[in-house]
Amino acid sequence: METLSVYVPKLVTNKEYIASGHRACSGCGEVLALRYVCKALGRNTIISNATGCMEIISSPLPETAWEVSWIHTLFENAAAVASGIESGLKALKRKHGYIKDVKVVAMGGDGATADIGLQALSGALERGHDFIYVCFDNEAYMNTGIQRSSETPFGASTTTAPSGKVSMGQHTWKKNMAAIAAAHNIPYVATSCSSYPFDIMYKIEKARKVKGPSYIHILSVCPTGWRCPSSDTIKMGRLAVETGVFPLYEIENGEYKMNFDYPKLRPVEDYLTAQGRFRHLTKEQIAEIQQKVIVEYEKIKMLSSRKKGK
Amino acid sequence: MSETVTLTIDGKKYTAERGRTVLQVATDNGIRIPTLCHNEAIEPYGACRLCVVEVTRGSRTRIVTSCLYPVEEGLIVQTASDRVIRNRKMLLDLLLARCSENEVIKNLAAEYGVTQPSFRQEYWEKNDCIVCGLCVRACEQVVGVSAISLVNRGISKEPAPPFLEKATDCIGCGSCYYVCPTHAIKMEDKNGVRRIHNWKVEFKLKKCSKCGIYWAPEAQLEYIRRKADLPVGFFDICPNCR
Repeated sequence: METLSVYVPKLVTNKEYIASGHRACSGCGEVLALRYVCKALGRNTIISNATGCMEIISSPLPETAWEVSWIHTLFENAAAVASGIESGLKALKRKHGYIKDVKVVAMGGDGATADIGLQALSGALERGHDFIYVCFDNEAYMNTGIQRSSETPFGASTTTAPSGKVSMGQHTWKKNMAAIAAAHNIPYVATSCSSYPFDIMYKIEKARKVKGPSYIHILSVCPTGWRCPSSDTIKMGRLAVETGVFPLYEIENGEYKMNFDYPKLRPVEDYLTAQGRFRHLTKEQIAEIQQKVIVEYEKIKMLSSRKKGK
Repeated sequence: MSETVTLTIDGKKYTAERGRTVLQVATDNGIRIPTLCHNEAIEPYGACRLCVVEVTRGSRTRIVTSCLYPVEEGLIVQTASDRVIRNRKMLLDLLLARCSENEVIKNLAAEYGVTQPSFRQEYWEKNDCIVCGLCVRACEQVVGVSAISLVNRGISKEPAPPFLEKATDCIGCGSCYYVCPTHAIKMEDKNGVRRIHNWKVEFKLKKCSKCGIYWAPEAQLEYIRRKADLPVGFFDICPNCR
């Protein structure tokens, strides 16, 4: 999909559902991803948005950047509110002949998804509500000042997991949310990245057509928290994918499919040395990360080469 | 300052800029009108007819395609009246007979309760193309290459390259593939080669001299390079490595 550059983007709708003038930092990859998500969702959408960057930057009272129906929820209950809305719509359809095809979407950052909102999310996925959950993963609690979350990668320095004489920063590995979502046996799970607009739109459009829950995990580059120049947002996302740190794949009814398969992965060093949050890492630690990345990448490649029924 | 008009859609009053079409105003306000041959970037054409609506002006009511019909003061539009649904069902019935195995057409028809064509089975076809001309229009209006056109008349009309041979002007950008509403255009990128089967063309993909990924068809890059008057070798490395 991503080789369709230059002419094809002109064919994408120029309607915006998240208006300009919001308060995101310069070079924010998350709001970029959100823009593509909203473009692909279209107008008939109700968004339940957990607390986090995207909520803070889009709705300082009395202003709003949203041009679709939107509700702010707490950190922990974005998925619970979304399931309530979906049930409400179902009742409207049953009792009052409401016919509009409205998709309910819950969205949150990595903290709202992988840490605080995991219970509500798990419940909503398990109950099989017809909704999409979009996680914008910028790998820490960026909005409150770069505190670690369970999605923060190994070795990254954050304000609550700082690097220094006694610590090398985050010492746990990134939680695999896509696998957790897939373990609920839901019809559609996918990972995407803010630097791949067509990939995001393709996956959201696919999820919109799915009847039942779907989960999309979008790696969103955060120049503020990752300590990289804001002009490198797109590059950083692409490096994450090309080095294999964040592979893009889909899980359709349990079947894995790798979307971007590179014959040769770039060394993770390219990705790590470009960011200030990894600058303290030693050669050995980088080698350790490299090894883990290859193991994880091969795992997904192996799963995607396995066909159904075998 | 653009003039605005007030019109009624499905019993609700809306204000809209003069010059916009009924379809645009309806979709802007969250009213879904099915359409296959419409794209914002391309001039409306009215080929698929699925966007039909009933418009009332004064004492006259008639069926029109909303993608081509400009809004007017006091216009009354019905997007889902019995007559509209009846018309749309017929259209879907005909489309389904032509594309009896196409998933997009099948799903859309099923939404309107048409699960199989009402025609005798010997008339069912397994086509994917609905001859909406979206690919041809994209190639002309967006890319500006016009490598393909609609050839022949009547039942043998189809989008095709000149003389049904290789599309020599095609630059392999993939716009036709992306814009096709029924996925009739088959394109694949494999082993550094892009093939668009419908136009019988093959393009070598450019390999980045630094990282080695294939990132765009060479013909397209050469076309852009010449158009923008860039030096030879400008596109040797991909945007990520630059």
